[in-house]
Amino acid sequence: MATKKRKKGSFLFVWGEMDYAFLLIVVVLMSIGLVMLFSASYANALYYMGDSLHYISRQVAFAVGGVICMLGISRINYRILKPLTLPIYGVTILLLILVLFMPPINGVRRWIPIPLIGTLQPSEVAKFALVLMYASYISVYHQKMHTFKYGLLPFGAILAPVVFLLLKEPHLSATVLMIGITGVMMFVGGTDYRWFLVAAGAAGVLIAVVIISPDIVRYAGGRVETWLDPFADPQGYGFQTIQSLYAIGSGGLTGAGIGGSRQKYLYLPEAQNDFIFAVVAEELGFIGSTLILCLFALLIWRGFVIAMRCRDRFGCMVAVGITAQVGIQTILNVAVVTNTVPNTGISLPFFSYGGTALLMLLCEMGVVLSVSRCSALEKE
Amino acid sequence: MVRGTSNKMRLRLNIVIFLMAVAAMAVLIGRLFYIQIYEGEKWQGRAISQQMRAMQISAERGVIYDTNMKTLAASATVWDVIVSPAQLKGPEELELIADYLSELLEVDREKIIERGQRTYSYYEVIKSKVEKDIADEINAFILKHRLNSVNLVENTRRYYPYGSLASTVLGFTGSDNNGAYGLEAYYNKTLSGLPGVRTSAKNAKGADMDFLYEQRFEPQPGNSIVLTIDEAVQHIVEKHLEAAVVEHNVEARACAIVMDVNTGAILAMATKPDFDPNEPRVIADPHVAEQLAQLKLEVDENEYLKALGEAQFAQWRNKAISDPYEPGSVFKILTSAMALDLEVTKPTGNYFYCPGFHVVAGRRKACWKAAGHGSIDFTQAVKFSCNPAFMMLGERIGAENFYTYFDRFGLLSTTGIELPGEADSIFYSMDLLGKKSGEELASSAFGQTFKVTPIQLITAVSAAVNGGNLMEPYIVKQVIDANGNVVETTQPSVRRQVISAESSKTLAEILHKVVSDPDGSGRYAYVPGYRVGGKTGTSEKIDQSVDGVVKERISSFLGIAPSDDPQYAVLVMLDEPHLQNIYGSIIAAPVVGNIFKEILPYLGVEPHYTEKELQNLDVSTPQVTGGLVSDAQRQATAKGLKIRVVGEGDTVVRQVPASGQPIPRGSTIILYTQETEQSTTVTVPNVVGMSGAAANAAIVNAGLNIKVGGIDIDSVGSVAYSQTPYAGTVVEAGTVVTVLFTSTTPEAD
Repeated sequence: MATKKRKKGSFLFVWGEMDYAFLLIVVVLMSIGLVMLFSASYANALYYMGDSLHYISRQVAFAVGGVICMLGISRINYRILKPLTLPIYGVTILLLILVLFMPPINGVRRWIPIPLIGTLQPSEVAKFALVLMYASYISVYHQKMHTFKYGLLPFGAILAPVVFLLLKEPHLSATVLMIGITGVMMFVGGTDYRWFLVAAGAAGVLIAVVIISPDIVRYAGGRVETWLDPFADPQGYGFQTIQSLYAIGSGGLTGAGIGGSRQKYLYLPEAQNDFIFAVVAEELGFIGSTLILCLFALLIWRGFVIAMRCRDRFGCMVAVGITAQVGIQTILNVAVVTNTVPNTGISLPFFSYGGTALLMLLCEMGVVLSVSRCSALEKE
Repeated sequence: MVRGTSNKMRLRLNIVIFLMAVAAMAVLIGRLFYIQIYEGEKWQGRAISQQMRAMQISAERGVIYDTNMKTLAASATVWDVIVSPAQLKGPEELELIADYLSELLEVDREKIIERGQRTYSYYEVIKSKVEKDIADEINAFILKHRLNSVNLVENTRRYYPYGSLASTVLGFTGSDNNGAYGLEAYYNKTLSGLPGVRTSAKNAKGADMDFLYEQRFEPQPGNSIVLTIDEAVQHIVEKHLEAAVVEHNVEARACAIVMDVNTGAILAMATKPDFDPNEPRVIADPHVAEQLAQLKLEVDENEYLKALGEAQFAQWRNKAISDPYEPGSVFKILTSAMALDLEVTKPTGNYFYCPGFHVVAGRRKACWKAAGHGSIDFTQAVKFSCNPAFMMLGERIGAENFYTYFDRFGLLSTTGIELPGEADSIFYSMDLLGKKSGEELASSAFGQTFKVTPIQLITAVSAAVNGGNLMEPYIVKQVIDANGNVVETTQPSVRRQVISAESSKTLAEILHKVVSDPDGSGRYAYVPGYRVGGKTGTSEKIDQSVDGVVKERISSFLGIAPSDDPQYAVLVMLDEPHLQNIYGSIIAAPVVGNIFKEILPYLGVEPHYTEKELQNLDVSTPQVTGGLVSDAQRQATAKGLKIRVVGEGDTVVRQVPASGQPIPRGSTIILYTQETEQSTTVTVPNVVGMSGAAANAAIVNAGLNIKVGGIDIDSVGSVAYSQTPYAGTVVEAGTVVTVLFTSTTPEAD
């Protein structure tokens, strides 16, 4: 085989060319994300933490660490993940159980405190674990996936305990994200179209029912109502959405300029977190926020291209999963902020505050880059 | 190697790329376009309205001037002391500030600390409205310690340079600088101007983000008002009214109005006791204050506060416009006006017989003089204030005419004076007045059983004597802007002609006789050199009678001068005087006389003395201070005065009375010849009730000078009925004591 000519990798390391386009997009997005995080967070940081650099300084530290990790991981052969898949999944389940015994924050149990680093969200790990599980499975059973037994049941079996535990926290947005990742990986992996049509039909009926009578869903009822009319409850459920729309609308075509947001002055809750994109839209306007969405589109496209070029089905599916995860998260987040879908707390990759999440994300990007090196390797 | 992507996977991946990177993104960009471009203005507008704080910049409040542009009320800049805890550098700074401010401003230190710990706040008012000297000190403190956390914000405060002068007319402003009472309230809009606006961005907690955005719209200063009130006249009126309140122990306050009868302009309007508008909430009447202090010890907080509030409202109340009362015999002026205008009587040759009563509806209604006045003509009926004669006049006038004139004199509606809280009269309906029994008409004809306000009464009487024109009374003659340009001028306005000019002239002459004739009931308002006319009134407060016995009375007098060409009217009303001497029923008349005596020369009305008056005319004390005692002796003798020298020196270093004082011939000037000489003080003796000789002796023996007044000084058997300074006052030796005499026992009317 051609590989004999020049040894470019081993079981542990890879030396091929990585996809610089993907790396560039990641670095650009992360840099813009950090600038915007600083702008969006400093009022809250000053007011609530007494230090305008409170959020950004932590985030920058994690970003620097994350970039080092990303570059390091890109050199590591992703294939070592395959044998680690089951242990990782096992640990994830354990963490998801463990988190249920943590003291609740704002009424939910999503975080495990870790000395020095801060907190760990097991759901962040769970996303990656699911991607690995599905990738491993698909790499073996790809050919049989058109059947119900191989194309549907195993995915359900892998997903079910995770969803069950997430709903115990509860963490609806993570659940939606997991289902999304699962759907994309099943689709790419080869599950029959029919099931997607069935799922789409079921989802359509469900959405219709919820819109017609939101009270059916106990937990999400208020969210649906305020989605349809944020001013139905302007001081309660609708508050965040209204403040977000104020911010986005104030941006106009060209925006208030970086640092020019007024809505971030304690009006917009979570300005540094789930609703950071509203500040971005206010400061950078329609033009700036559209460009950022285009960068995300490029990232998604490039991630899937890396997957497509991968000669190894496991690597391909890992890249698909990670890219799908970033893509779905981005789309959901912006959809929530623009009140396109009901409000679920979901963060924006590379932008939202959250050290461990950013670290985790960059590590995943490292894995995608590792896959891209292999692709380059295989192509030769 | 496991095989890479199959064609099927590639196809599906392309579908996923399309759905996520193209379709979903297109939807989101479309959403952004819709919110930011299509709906942008709507959201932006709403966002701005929640982000912007409009802070009022108060406009400078206009000045209230008297008719001669003396300042009666003005605003000055003061400062609010603000601490912004968000800008504190640390707890030490707060300690420093709390120590300093609590000491300087007399504010509780703990309070400053507590508010200073609200670290989210930028605006904690520690004390509002501090004066310039305090503000300067704080500024120095701020500079010394380079503080960002302490600020001074401009505010304004209202000052009333003349203290309580005209306080019930001027009113006062509240802590928000808005008029709360009186002219300040009535003209609040005019005086306030238009506040400016400072718009700044704020955060969701309300604190300023002024580094982001600020815009100012400058305030428009308020207009000033120029009153018809003359500070000098007002001062004279208040001086005499206050003295009367003290002398006669007036229980339910007293009021006075001076009106220009030809224009309706108010030259003075006073209620006593009143208050100091600089401290409107402080109870000015020492007796009331004392009662309240006592009450505070006895009852619980709420009851005390209720009593305090009532006392405050009571002292703010402008009695001259807000309290209708039974005018009593003063109203006979208007009944006379009606009778003359209807020609149902004439000044002389038309006789009334008064047996001491008049029978109305089968019952005797008594005259104040039980023995009766006998056969008197109309002029005498007015002079003696004979009730039966006026009941007869009422019958001649008839209910319908009486009601019509009452209405046409403006007594059935408020006068429209530019003051808040004007009350209306309480009078019979036409039907009630016209009842067959005639009781209502009979009592109305001599001024009882109905109520009018002092301002209504003086306005009506002015019409009766000024040629018959009912004027619209006014108190603001001009509105001027901040640059002194006249914005508005009040033109005297005639509401209607009520009686003929001829009737009016006749009435004024009769009123003159009431005062000038030795047997006139109004003779205690006599002023040498001036033709004063007027009418006394003592009304029983029937609505406050206990078991049919009237306990309280109102003593009033309405004077006009000069009666041959009426220019000014003065009404003095003493509510519930507690009489200390037998002349109590006419106590309001000398107050009016004293007021006329001082204001007529001031207002430029020339005196015309009779021969007899000229004899009694005062001489002006010579200027002898600084000269030799011998020179002083010569000058004094030339003027018919005596001297008394105190001390061993040859040169006069001081004289009492001072030069230029009018004193009677034969008075003694005290000359001090040594700087070190202590001035001799004496206590004024009580001479009320004494004969002329006795009073003279008492006063001269006390080392004082006497000046006699009244109309019957020379008559045998005349007695003193009033004196100033009052008995018991400690004055310098040589001071002139004015004593008023009367020949006969005054009548109650």
